[in-house]
Amino acid sequence: MNTSLALVVAAAGMLLGIMTGRTAARIWLITTLVGVVAAATAALSVLNGADWEWRSGFTVGGELLHLRLDGISALFMMLLCVVGGAGSVYGSEYWSEIEHPRSARSGRLWWSMLVLSMGLVLVMSNGLHFLIAWELFALSAYFLITLDRQRSEVRAAGWLYLAASHTGTLCLFAFFTSLAAQTGSWEFGPMRDQAALSPLFWLALVGFGLKAGLFPLHIWLPSAHANAPSHVSAILSGVAIKLGIYGLVRFSGWLPMPENAGTVVAILGVVSAVLGVAFALGQHDMKRLLAYHSVENIGIILIGLGFAMISVEHGNAAWGSLALAGGLLHVWNHGLFKALLFFGAGSVLHATGTREMSRLGGLWRTMPWTAGLFGLGAVAICGLPPLNGFVSEWLVYLGLFDATILHESSAWEAIPAAIALGVTGGLALACFIKVCGIVFLGAPRSEAAAHAHECGKSMRSAMCLLAGCCVAIGLAPIVFWPAIARAASTWHPAWKVVQAPESLAPLGRVHVALAVLAITAAALLWRRVKHQGLKRELTWDCGYAKPSARMQYTVGSFAGIITEWFAFILRPVRHMHRPRGPLPHDASFEEHTPETVLERVVAPFANLIMRVSLIARRLQHGHVQAYVFYVLIGLAALAAIVIAGGGK
Amino acid sequence: MNTIVDIVLRLACWLLLAPLLPGIINRVKAWVGGRRGPPVLQLYYDLARLWKKSVVMSTLASPAFVVLPAVAWVALLAAAMLMPLGPAGAGLSFRGDVVLMLYLLGLGRFCTAWAAMETGSAFEGMGAVREVSYAVLAEAAMVAAMLSLSVQTHSLTLTTMLSPTVGAGAVLLAAGLFIVLLAENCRVPFDDPNTHLELTMIHEVMVLDHSGPPFAVILHGASMKLLFFAVLLTQAVLPMGKLGVVSSACVLVAGVFVVTVSVGFVESLMARLAFRRVPLQLATAFLLCVFALLVAWKGGVA
Repeated sequence: MNTSLALVVAAAGMLLGIMTGRTAARIWLITTLVGVVAAATAALSVLNGADWEWRSGFTVGGELLHLRLDGISALFMMLLCVVGGAGSVYGSEYWSEIEHPRSARSGRLWWSMLVLSMGLVLVMSNGLHFLIAWELFALSAYFLITLDRQRSEVRAAGWLYLAASHTGTLCLFAFFTSLAAQTGSWEFGPMRDQAALSPLFWLALVGFGLKAGLFPLHIWLPSAHANAPSHVSAILSGVAIKLGIYGLVRFSGWLPMPENAGTVVAILGVVSAVLGVAFALGQHDMKRLLAYHSVENIGIILIGLGFAMISVEHGNAAWGSLALAGGLLHVWNHGLFKALLFFGAGSVLHATGTREMSRLGGLWRTMPWTAGLFGLGAVAICGLPPLNGFVSEWLVYLGLFDATILHESSAWEAIPAAIALGVTGGLALACFIKVCGIVFLGAPRSEAAAHAHECGKSMRSAMCLLAGCCVAIGLAPIVFWPAIARAASTWHPAWKVVQAPESLAPLGRVHVALAVLAITAAALLWRRVKHQGLKRELTWDCGYAKPSARMQYTVGSFAGIITEWFAFILRPVRHMHRPRGPLPHDASFEEHTPETVLERVVAPFANLIMRVSLIARRLQHGHVQAYVFYVLIGLAALAAIVIAGGGK
Repeated sequence: MNTIVDIVLRLACWLLLAPLLPGIINRVKAWVGGRRGPPVLQLYYDLARLWKKSVVMSTLASPAFVVLPAVAWVALLAAAMLMPLGPAGAGLSFRGDVVLMLYLLGLGRFCTAWAAMETGSAFEGMGAVREVSYAVLAEAAMVAAMLSLSVQTHSLTLTTMLSPTVGAGAVLLAAGLFIVLLAENCRVPFDDPNTHLELTMIHEVMVLDHSGPPFAVILHGASMKLLFFAVLLTQAVLPMGKLGVVSSACVLVAGVFVVTVSVGFVESLMARLAFRRVPLQLATAFLLCVFALLVAWKGGVA
């Protein structure tokens, strides 16, 4: 299909979705899916062929419309389509009319609005229109986050999101207006030759970084992701924060880079990756935990991007393209498995009514599909072979190892980054053993967990779709490579062709062999066990005859060792009541990890601003006499300056 | 035809020789302690016995409890296939296989820890926590060690990284990797495979509830992991590429034997560390590997 036609169909589908969202749920679902599929074909045709561009003959807001779909935006568009489509199917059951009569209608409307506006952000090639689409996207996300606004924590999360988002937009306004002022046009494209533009990158880094949720700009992310409905969390984490990455990728390729920008991005990536997963380990709320993992994965993507930028400083070294390809593939991968995990968390929430992991347990018995698919997502997000997470991390590792081997000055940055990536992998594994072990395995810790039920067909099929994508990228990375290479080669004007690492095909074959062998071995062992006889008994527990659910390892105790290592930055809050006296009767211990950056840095600073403003407010009280007096004082001060000779 | 013979021989080598190592360690410990000790082939007898037993499984556990040990075993076997065996090279080798090797060990750990969490027992939870937490530090040390080998040899392929030469930091690397070997295989001073006080264990406590064939698979996998690390350590620090085929094979076998005996000596002569000191010891291993990396970086190839 023609790219333009496909995009028109996509836009029409989305608009129809917006119109029918409030009234006709089924038509909404069909039109949204048609729109998403059409946009996906457009993205696919761009990834396989030439860029698509369109300029209007009329103006919107005084500027000609300029739409463009190139390798990079098509890559993000593809992700948007997959997660957006899966999310609409999932959401139609998860946030249904029956369970949420007040908000299901507006939920559908804003969902279509969000997908449409994110698509617009990706195609806009004019700064002014980009900002309009960006704002539309930010607002529709706000309305989706606050769908359940009867709950006060949802409102608080929404406000925090809105404030952070607008702080970012403010930076982007400054960025695009300065760009327009210095280049004389709102349109953007490659402009590496204008060295004066380079300081603007820092504005873009803050503006897009706030949306991407890199550490320490992630303050809005955990509460927004945790309190939004789960299909919204999935698209927020899977796609919305990636638009921040999109902005960074776009402008780091097109703008001239200030000195050391690559190093700064890589350092931010390392910090986000390690601290993101450390904070995740300290969480007790399943969705908050997943939200912190988004910070971690954004970090991994930024490590890839940062080293691509560093490689440009080193004369476009080949390892840079590997790192960038790894980062871009991780954009897809994280979008897929994180959406899958949020869908899984949503099913758990749907079935048990709680996100508190300490109240869950043993869910595999009642929710085998969710448990299995969540487990698959966990393997993928830990970056373990043979799934997709490993492929992208492997590419980033290759870039980092190559940078080290070449023995240039870049190695000093690559060595700590590679070690940090290894540590991140280990921490993520610990964290997901914790989630899966506490939530799905063992004995149920509450009545709600004991009487959970499996999610319905729509929710399950959405999860299966994403899981299928994770498996496919893991088993046949070479099939997906051309799309990644196409995006990576559009990143920098000087990068024409990005070669596939010659070992990508063998890696795919090893993954297939590994999967086949693992399944065969598992089946053979299962047969052997059946043949030898399988008896069910109480858990051994070293001879204790009456184990109870409360005796299991808990969320806090599971993360104890590692949170202790990071306590200097996590600052966990502990309330301990020790048993005292010869006949102690009660004792308790409670620990939780707050959003430390928000509560210890941003909140005190905001309080300070409030206090200063309150003092300043006393000057303005509505008494005209006093205002006249201010004018008099002002004049006197000016006169004093003139008399003192300051006016010359 | 040749490839098939090669693969069969290689599999036989890994699968059949691995259970020998714990036997040798136990023999050394018995010798130092002045006891007679179990036969060297004891683990083979244990495996054969376990394979014929029936399975008792916790009422809480899912089928994954039984099948995940098989997946972990496959992951370890795959890592072993990537590991070169002296002059024979690796069963499978491509650029970047070193990262795959590290993450295959991770996959094995994921499966074992998941299976441990199945039973809902506090003991096994404790073991899983310790396993995954200490692995973070061991992983950092491993990445540093692999980077130093890469820098020495300008390669990302295990075959070239391990066989031909050895860098100036070999002693540092040997010390670092030996500590990692002890930690990853849950030997003294990190863990005591002989103790039956569950509070002090890592690996053993994770597999408390396993029985019958799955337990045999776990024990065999653990012995394979020990052999894997011994082979890695030997090849990383001995310049075997400069020797002929036969002599380098002999050196490899001798090296693995020395490593195994040293594990036995460490186990006989040292006490287990207090758990709060385990991270410090692993941090030492990490630093040793980082120093080896710096030496490789500044010293080039020896």
